[in-house]
Amino acid sequence: MPDLTRRVGVPRLAGISYPLSRPLGRPHDADGQRAVLRATLALLESATTSDHYVELPFEWPETVAQARNASKDVPPSPIAALLLKQPWLIPNLYLGRIPA
Amino acid sequence: MIDSYRYVDFATRQIMKAWAARQEPGEIPFTPLRKPLRECTVALLSTAGIARNDDRPFDQEGERRDPWWGDPTFRRIPLGTTEKDIRVYHLHIDPRFGEEDLDVLLPMRRLSELASEGAVGRTAPTHYSIMGYILETTELERKTAPAIAAAMHEEHVDAVVLVPV
Repeated sequence: MPDLTRRVGVPRLAGISYPLSRPLGRPHDADGQRAVLRATLALLESATTSDHYVELPFEWPETVAQARNASKDVPPSPIAALLLKQPWLIPNLYLGRIPA
Repeated sequence: MIDSYRYVDFATRQIMKAWAARQEPGEIPFTPLRKPLRECTVALLSTAGIARNDDRPFDQEGERRDPWWGDPTFRRIPLGTTEKDIRVYHLHIDPRFGEEDLDVLLPMRRLSELASEGAVGRTAPTHYSIMGYILETTELERKTAPAIAAAMHEEHVDAVVLVPV
C-alpha cells in the first residue's frame, strides 16, 4: 500500500504491485527476488530529498484473482472475525478509535 | 500507478484508505547516504512477525484475546537464519510463502549475493522483524524502534531496507 506508507512518512519508498505476504516475489525465485532488492537499494543512491517515491516496474505473474485465491484458506484475522460478529464496532476501526 | 488494494477485500481496503487519509504527513527526516552503497553495511527489517524457533514467538494469544491489540515487540534474526529456523507469527497475512522461502520476506541471502558481487558493502550480522498489525503505536515508537535503531548502530549499519508485508 504505497500511499499508506507514504502518509506515514518514509524518506525513500519503492512501490511494487505484488500481492500481500510476498513482498520480494515468489518462493524460490532467487533472480526475481534479487532484482526487486537491487532496484529497491538503488533508491539509497538516487534519492536526494525525503518522500522520494519510485514505482518499481515488476509485474506479478498471476492475475489478481489467482494471487488472492492462493491464500483463500487463511482464516480471518481476530479483528475481522470480531467485526463480523459485532459489525457495530466497524466505525471504531474505520475512525481509528482503538479501545484502551 | 500502483494499486495494492486490489489484493485485499473491500472492507479492508476502505479501512486502510481511511487510515491513510487521516494520517498527518509530518516532517520526514532525510539522511543522505554518507558513502557509496558498495561500501555500506545494510540491514533488513520485516513486518511479517518472524521469530526464530529458539526465540519467543510473537504473542498471538494476546491478539486473539483482544483483537484491537498487536504484539509491538521485535525479534532479532541473525544472518544465516533460514526458513527451517523460523516461524511467521502474523494473523493478517499468509505465512506459508515466507515459511517456504524466508527470502520472500527477509531477503538475507539475496542481500549477501549483492554483497558478494560488490553492489553492497556488507550484509549486517543481525536483521530484525516486528509484527505489523499494531493499531496503537506508542510502544512501537517509544520503545521498539529506538531499541532496534540502537542495535543497528552497534553493528555499524549504514542503511536499512524496511520490508512491509
